[in-house]
Amino acid sequence: MNPENLKYHKEHTWVRVSGKRATVGITDHAQEALGDIVYIDLPEVDSTVEANTEFAEIESTKATSSVISPVSGTVIEVNEDLAESPEVINEDPYGKGWIAVIEMDNESELEDLMDASEYENYLEEEGK
Amino acid sequence: MRVIIIGGGPAGYVGALKAARLGAEVIVVEDTEVGGTCLNRGCIPTKTLIASSEILHKVRNSADYGIDLNGTVSPNIQKIIERKNKVVSTQVKGIRSLFKSWGVNIIEGKGILLSPERVEVEKRDGTREVINADRIIIATGSRPAQIPTFPFDGERILSSDDALNIKEIPKSLLIVGAGVIGCEFACIFSELGTDVTIVEMLPRAVSTEDFEISELLERELKKKKIKLLTGVSVNRVEGSKDGMHAYLSDGKEIMTEKILVSIGRALNSEGIGLEAVGIQRGSRGEIVVNDRMETNISGIYAAGDVTGGILLAHVASKEGIVAAINACGGEAKIDYSVIPAAIFTSPEIASVGLREHQASERGMKIRTGHFQFRALGKAHAMGEITGFVKIIADAENDRILGAHIIGPHASDLIHEIAVAIKAGLRVKDIADTIHAHPTLSEGIMEASEDVHGGAIHVPKR
Repeated sequence: MNPENLKYHKEHTWVRVSGKRATVGITDHAQEALGDIVYIDLPEVDSTVEANTEFAEIESTKATSSVISPVSGTVIEVNEDLAESPEVINEDPYGKGWIAVIEMDNESELEDLMDASEYENYLEEEGK
Repeated sequence: MRVIIIGGGPAGYVGALKAARLGAEVIVVEDTEVGGTCLNRGCIPTKTLIASSEILHKVRNSADYGIDLNGTVSPNIQKIIERKNKVVSTQVKGIRSLFKSWGVNIIEGKGILLSPERVEVEKRDGTREVINADRIIIATGSRPAQIPTFPFDGERILSSDDALNIKEIPKSLLIVGAGVIGCEFACIFSELGTDVTIVEMLPRAVSTEDFEISELLERELKKKKIKLLTGVSVNRVEGSKDGMHAYLSDGKEIMTEKILVSIGRALNSEGIGLEAVGIQRGSRGEIVVNDRMETNISGIYAAGDVTGGILLAHVASKEGIVAAINACGGEAKIDYSVIPAAIFTSPEIASVGLREHQASERGMKIRTGHFQFRALGKAHAMGEITGFVKIIADAENDRILGAHIIGPHASDLIHEIAVAIKAGLRVKDIADTIHAHPTLSEGIMEASEDVHGGAIHVPKR
């Protein structure tokens, strides 16, 4: 199940908001579709990211895939553990598999995102 | 007819064999060893080191293949270099025996032109000999280019020649230049356990390749924990008792045990009597030749790196053949339209024909097709899933214009496309040809299908 307290982007990323800090990761649906993740190219700390653009890249045994940022801002932290153990994203996409923390510079972008039930409907529509 | 060839590298020795086959009396003047840079200080020795580092990599990852190893695994650099020397000397002997069988004579020493009919040889024992020729082919090659402010010292500031004969694996290595040579050595030393940093003036690694190839290689370097700094140069270098300090153009300082300078090649066109005979040279010192490999002086030809074109052994050999045919009274022209090239990084890179940005710069309408090796069963079986095949085709007539491969056996796979381009084939010709399963070549078939969106093993878009 997709946690209720998160916001979701249509490119299958999630964001957990705490003040200006947005923790970002990929959804359970995304990790399932990618299959076994073997590498993630993490963004650099202090780099700026823009909403709806690639900010990381994931390699799985099936595909390489862009990770699209749901918000704009500055990367203030990245999950270094993923460099050695990218499979954590498969195991715990909403927990230990978080990718980066972005300090948002435009919180109104959050309004464009979906809540958990909207995201589930979206997945259903997309699957048809 | 007597043909003197100055230089016994890929241009000279191949040209010598060709001229001998055409019935000429051939003398090769060589001041180090036949085989040239390629065999003695380039292609072949690096590939033997790469073979050792690949074995090391496989053994270290043997558990992934279900092999338990009990004990330690470590590279023995003395033995690795010994093996390299053995491979090289076997190949050198091979060329020498070919020479013997075709009656090609070698005079060991440095060849200097005296006139269009006479070459003086400065032999190793200091004596000199003047030999007469009907035709002369200059194939003196190139050498590692150095940076004047910190020239090679063979100990702490290394050329690629020096790096092939190291006695110990350095703890850290700063490589100046992320071209073909720099990136190959980065992969070798990183596997051997050296902490490698590469500094490149240009914005990307292997900058002559297609952008997407550079991008993926850069990520693979990152995976190996090789640090790549682009858009910066080394301003100055200082040695101290703890190592070398390199001061970069962006103000950073790097501490390193050794420095490998791989910024390109300098042409061997000095001190060989070109001025005396009046042979025309270009701005980089290259000998100017036409498509028959003729210099401006009748009867004198040049081939290989010293002509400054595409510095690749296989191009040099073809130029040597063209020069030999023309020197022996035949008719041949060099054709540079299809030149496959390979970079033996890990993973390998190979290319032929146009890069995507070149096609756009020329205003051509193109279509591209991609296919990831990770979608192939064979790649998974081998445990080497990284990389892709990219095909560039003319959007108007479907002819193949170029291909770029990064991944396992890229250097072997590229030739299917080289033949296709040479023959003017269309993407459909490759896509419609049944490719054996399970092979990596299926990637070429699928990438060709993908030019028209028809690859089978990709999800619906």
